[in-house]
Amino acid sequence: MWRSSAKGESVPIYNDMDLDAIEERAGPRAFSPADELPREYREAATRMIEFHANSEIMGAYLERPFIRQAPSIDRKLAFSAKTQDEIGHAQLLYRAAETLGVKSREEMLDDLANGDGKFLNCFHYPLESWVEVPMISFFVDGAAMRRQATLRRTSWEPYAHAMDKVCFEEGFHVKHGEDILTELMTGSRKERRLTQAAFEEWWPRIIQFFGPTDDDSTHHDFAAAVGLKQQSNDELRDAFLDQYIPKARKHGLEIPDEPRIRERDDGTYAVEEDDLDWDEFFTIAKNEYEPGVGQIDERKRAREAVGWVRDALEDDAVAADGTAPQAAD
Amino acid sequence: MIWEVFRQEKAGGYHAHCGNVHAPDREMARQFAAIQHGRRKPTNSLWVVPREEIGEIGADEVAFGGTTDKIYRWATAYNTTAGDASEVVESEDEQATAERRRGDDR
Repeated sequence: MWRSSAKGESVPIYNDMDLDAIEERAGPRAFSPADELPREYREAATRMIEFHANSEIMGAYLERPFIRQAPSIDRKLAFSAKTQDEIGHAQLLYRAAETLGVKSREEMLDDLANGDGKFLNCFHYPLESWVEVPMISFFVDGAAMRRQATLRRTSWEPYAHAMDKVCFEEGFHVKHGEDILTELMTGSRKERRLTQAAFEEWWPRIIQFFGPTDDDSTHHDFAAAVGLKQQSNDELRDAFLDQYIPKARKHGLEIPDEPRIRERDDGTYAVEEDDLDWDEFFTIAKNEYEPGVGQIDERKRAREAVGWVRDALEDDAVAADGTAPQAAD
Repeated sequence: MIWEVFRQEKAGGYHAHCGNVHAPDREMARQFAAIQHGRRKPTNSLWVVPREEIGEIGADEVAFGGTTDKIYRWATAYNTTAGDASEVVESEDEQATAERRRGDDR
């Protein structure tokens, strides 16, 4: 069954299936496009994957200037390969999302351009100097990988398959990011000082990567019940801290006093959530944080500027076989 | 008409090419595929695709992965501190395996 989207593209529609039945069957990779899934499931999965896809794009745009500003040819090559990967991840994810039949790829990309599309908190902040780069490409990518590794077991099979490829590639990003951090933290005194300052600025945002605490998370319960999400925000954040606090220290970075970090008896860590700026976080979540708004608009302008490339490709495809390509092809 | 057949062994897995069938239409292709390719090997689902709908690009037309040294694209190119997160180690292992199979590790 198909319906016409607002843009006149064909997108699949499915009959509703009982929600209890979904919860019962909700194992890893349990549901494929062949299943008839209830609206609630498809909307929750769309929201999650669209957010993920948008974040890949906005992250790539944030890092893009550093292809030009990379300090060496090796860094430039690696960094441009990484940015290219991230754009590719967005493509995989929009495909996994549009198969749910809620929104077409065009609709999601339009929403991202007009400021309705949501994306990761960290990508609403400006990235201004090279010492900030490992904050994204080591810590934020490390956090993303932690989360993505659990999503290889999500219940929406196309999402899990996208995660297989994303996780395969992402190891290079995290290790390259750590390599940049190593270089900076074994560099001049000035480099070390500036890197530490960047770390202090980014550290609270990085911790907020995992979203609000479980009790304040609006969507967690449903997403977990139907197997879309495999670990809660708190579990993921704690696992990240356990792995990356020792890493940061190993590189000679000092963990800031705020937010306070508690070390449990078993050597694992927990953060004092109230020390984090949740007003700022939720302003960002509404796309109302000023640097983020500018970044959304900048990407919109970039998208418009290359519109002629998309048009040329479409015209070429029509000319070649006489039929317009379908969104769901 | 030839239909290429792709088998998925278990729910959630990938559909991998496993052969083809000769059939006059999609419905018959589905039935023949089930009989020819779904009887013995573990099968959860089969896809049938008209052969002429499949586009192909081969190693004689394009250098897959390019012709220049792109070592910087691999996690294995970076020596960082020990104690990587398990998911980073897993990714690096997958990349090391892919490199070996491509013959790029020499």
